[in-house]
Amino acid sequence: MSAALETHGLGRRYGSHWALQGCTLEIPRGSVTALVGPNGAGKTTLLRLAVGLTRPSAGSVRVLGLDPHAEAAEALPRVGFLAQEHPLFGSFTVAEMLRVGRELNPSWDDEAARARIAELDLPLKKKVRSLSGGQRAQVALTLALAKRPELLLLDEPVASLDPLARREFMQSVLEAVAERELTVLLSSHILADLERVCDHLVILAAGRTQLAGAIDEIVASHRLLTGPRDEAEDVARLHEVVRASHVERQTTLLVRANGHVYDARWTVHELDLEEIVLGYLGQDAARRREAVSA
Amino acid sequence: MIWLSWRQQRLETLIIAALLAALAAAFVPAGIHVADLFAQQHLARCVDRQNEACSFAIGNFANRAGFLRSLVEGGWLNLIPGLIGVALAAPLLLDLENRTIRLAWTQSVTRRRWIATKGIVALGTVLAAGAAFSLLFTWYQRPFDRIWGHWDEFGFEGIVPLGYVLFGLGLALAVGVLLRRSAAALVVSFGAYVAARLFVQSWLRQRLVAPLSATWGLHASGPNVSHAWVITEGPSDRAGHLFSGSSNVVQSCARPGPNGAKGLDPACMSRHGAGFTHILYQPASRFWEIQGLEFALFGGVAVILIAFAAWRVLRTD
Repeated sequence: MSAALETHGLGRRYGSHWALQGCTLEIPRGSVTALVGPNGAGKTTLLRLAVGLTRPSAGSVRVLGLDPHAEAAEALPRVGFLAQEHPLFGSFTVAEMLRVGRELNPSWDDEAARARIAELDLPLKKKVRSLSGGQRAQVALTLALAKRPELLLLDEPVASLDPLARREFMQSVLEAVAERELTVLLSSHILADLERVCDHLVILAAGRTQLAGAIDEIVASHRLLTGPRDEAEDVARLHEVVRASHVERQTTLLVRANGHVYDARWTVHELDLEEIVLGYLGQDAARRREAVSA
Repeated sequence: MIWLSWRQQRLETLIIAALLAALAAAFVPAGIHVADLFAQQHLARCVDRQNEACSFAIGNFANRAGFLRSLVEGGWLNLIPGLIGVALAAPLLLDLENRTIRLAWTQSVTRRRWIATKGIVALGTVLAAGAAFSLLFTWYQRPFDRIWGHWDEFGFEGIVPLGYVLFGLGLALAVGVLLRRSAAALVVSFGAYVAARLFVQSWLRQRLVAPLSATWGLHASGPNVSHAWVITEGPSDRAGHLFSGSSNVVQSCARPGPNGAKGLDPACMSRHGAGFTHILYQPASRFWEIQGLEFALFGGVAVILIAFAAWRVLRTD
């Protein structure tokens, strides 16, 4: 079976600026993947390419084995998408928004949609524009879920929400994943929003994929090594050095280890996910600084 | 999908419907009134004949046609088809501007189907509104047209209003996809609509088909132009070259006429070789031909503009 999302050298250019470049990744089916990166890293562009809102300038993208643009008629019913600003028709009532979903989606699950709205205590007769941000996000999520997608793409879904609404929203996503076979890819520039619900991670920075994989493997393979500066090169031969910092004769390395790190000269620390992500994003920042000074 | 298209343009459709209803509320009673007046004054006998009794009856009829007549003759109603077209473009442009278009495009319908459905519903609405406008005024104008011909209120009658509403819609859509700001687009396109209408009305329409001309001398009589569109008429030489009001000949032959109005002395004009009348006109029989051409012109441009807007929207990110 094809991956939920597969990209090869995917790029999108706006004018002379590459919003996304050389992005190659594979999101396995059934995973809940966090797409993490700083603002402007290309997360939104990647998601929009995946749902066919944007066409690639380079490379290819396939969702559920389909080209989201050329095969939109087959791909669209199977992909749910929630844009960052949670677009809804402001002058429509909640009930009318549900009707929009029903009219535009042949696979629409009206019963489930109404049950969700009732459960969330959302007033059916209220106009969308008079709802709170959290309520709007929930209506938008209901729309995306009730079309019964196989792949759900959420772009910064909780960025505009207060902490309580964030928690409720993520809970809703978790429940949806528990209920049926659903692949989720959700982006955020704050890892803490996603860590609790995700099992896979993609780090995107400066328009490129920095790291992609299962979270437990990522945590298991990354180590922080502290040791003598003159032997850093030996480590680099064996393991992938993500980030290095030097203080006098001592070096600290963030490495993606090939197997175990056994070396008496190095102190080995385990890292949690946030530290690893920060390591990659810091690396990106360091590279950019180099690029500027060079 | 059709429901969504309708729901999104509901407000604009209701506004246009209310506007047309207000016009009907004013012009249906006025139309009944002028039709009654036409019958009372026995004007049917004057349609193809001119005599003093008829002139008097026609003058009487014109005087009693009601104050709404000035609204019609002032040309203000020409704005209505443009308003209809531009208004129905608004929901489509707002969808683009507010990015709610992304919501529609990430459901299960393809962009093509979405654009086609939205387009057809909007087109159907403006055509229905344009047809209602044309029917109302074609009916209202009947007594006037029987006396003076159809040309005076050309833009309210027949099929051209349908061309105008399509043009208004297409213009607003095309400007909207370029400007990406709905309010500005609606204002700009309405201005452009008015400019285009004025240009066609005052310059192009009379040239859509080469007009007929005639020149005749003092004691001859010209063609019957009672129902025709007279583009220019005035004193001329034998070859049909017109003398303008400021020319020396006209100035020197002007004589005070009855009621203090100035008239031209025929004998004086003859002496100066200007004893002829020249006329440039479109005969009544060409009304539908020119209606067809002007409809095709506005409708054709509208099709191009709408196709351009659809193409741009299809390519939008």
